[in-house]
Amino acid sequence: MSLALSEHFFRREFGRLVALLSRRVGLQHLELVEDAVQASLLAAVESWGTVEVPGNPSAWLFRVAYNHFVGELRRRARHAELTPDDHAMHIGDDPPAVFFTGDVQDSLLRMLFACCDEAIPIESQVVIALRTLCGFSVSEIAQRLLMTEANVYKRLARARSRLRERRPLVDEITLPQLAARLPAVQAVLYTLFTEGYLSSHAEQAIRRELCDEAQRLTRILTEHAIGSTPETFALLALMHLHTARMAARQDGSGGLLLLEEQDRSLFDQQEIALGLSWLARSAEGNVFSRYHAEAGIAAEHCLAPSFSQTRWERIVECYELLNRLAPSAIHTLNRAIAVAECRGPEQGLALVQGLEPPAWLSGSYLWFAVLADLHRRCGHAELAKRHCDAAVDLAPSPVVRVALERRLRGGSS
Amino acid sequence: MAKYLCLQRSLPGGDLSGDKPSPAQMQGMYEKFNQWREKYQQNLVDLGGRLGAGRLTLPDPAPDGPFIEVKELVGGYMIVSAVDLDEAIRVARECPGLMRPGSGVEVIEIRSPG
Repeated sequence: MSLALSEHFFRREFGRLVALLSRRVGLQHLELVEDAVQASLLAAVESWGTVEVPGNPSAWLFRVAYNHFVGELRRRARHAELTPDDHAMHIGDDPPAVFFTGDVQDSLLRMLFACCDEAIPIESQVVIALRTLCGFSVSEIAQRLLMTEANVYKRLARARSRLRERRPLVDEITLPQLAARLPAVQAVLYTLFTEGYLSSHAEQAIRRELCDEAQRLTRILTEHAIGSTPETFALLALMHLHTARMAARQDGSGGLLLLEEQDRSLFDQQEIALGLSWLARSAEGNVFSRYHAEAGIAAEHCLAPSFSQTRWERIVECYELLNRLAPSAIHTLNRAIAVAECRGPEQGLALVQGLEPPAWLSGSYLWFAVLADLHRRCGHAELAKRHCDAAVDLAPSPVVRVALERRLRGGSS
Repeated sequence: MAKYLCLQRSLPGGDLSGDKPSPAQMQGMYEKFNQWREKYQQNLVDLGGRLGAGRLTLPDPAPDGPFIEVKELVGGYMIVSAVDLDEAIRVARECPGLMRPGSGVEVIEIRSPG
């Protein structure tokens, strides 16, 4: 009988097998490990359809990948492509028999930490994590990160060569090194989530997977001694609370809905509950990170019974804290919006006008959209129109343009 | 119901290497194969498998003769039952992975006496 495999079984197994195998043979063989895993999955596709599916599919896959790897290694050794002192030359013929769940989680996590090497730029850390841990192909990564395949390929090659230079066995990364890398790991997971969350309608379905992957890896991080810190809990809370509002952000035809237009009955209560319980856990201890601030803001939006009943003062406070922890003009811009809601548009506008926006912001539709909205609400029709035109011109996609025009040109509030 | 032998053949000039499927695509292949298998349960006598290297042996020893590597010609086999050749061809054609650039299926009736 055929086995009904869980959703994403092959991608998950890819990540598991790459992590387990490269932990044994060293990261310098990462590419060979990926090829061996690829071959074992392909063997499964070909044989599980016709013969009995093995009782323990994961163990079967590991054995096939291991044998493939050892065979390829021997072949290379015969052609003198390997030096005898290479650690992988000394692994045995027989694959280790059993892996416990703890082993697998531990290997995945060590792999994640290895990918977050400070010598690799963060964009490339995201790319190699998507490849090795999530099992996406080059073209799948390109689609999801909106990069060219050539760019993804280049980033992968550089990241792999960086890992090869270090030649570490993943186990050789010491505990203090792991701990020192935790902020980098959290930043990668945050970036991964954000990439998926900000996607527009056209690519919504496939990029949503980035959010799911980020959430899955963060959960693994929370289960590990090194990763189980208040910041990680806050990060996971943030992801759940954003996920809760995802369905409500779009109308039936894929257009973007503004926060005040969103149907709050569509907020996912289960995700909100999960988010809040992680937020509560994140409050243990006396750490307050940017993830705490962002999760706090997301929680306020989830819990507010309506747009007008939102506790905007709390949100203003959170943005102030966030800006102190991670100074950025975008946080002040967001704070200005909250200030306008609770203290009036004039005060919000004053806050924005006190900003000296960096180039990336002053050339962005967001900047002009906020100014247009605040000027309109202050009754400055001429200025509002000018900023509105600029915002619409700079809109990155048609759905954003439509939402802007609705809010800035047609709105009555 | 007659039985038919289906042989997967690589086509001359065909490229079987192609792009490696990604894990997500493999999941799709696996699921499609299972759907096909379910649909044609009644027809599938022996799902067969892939064939490896082989050699043609002849009644006379011919050490210098042309040895045919079977794998160059036939990649895999299966046996289906069908009312006629057309039905057997339909079953084989719908088998995911069999019909693709560089690969085709030869369907041959297995004659039974009588």
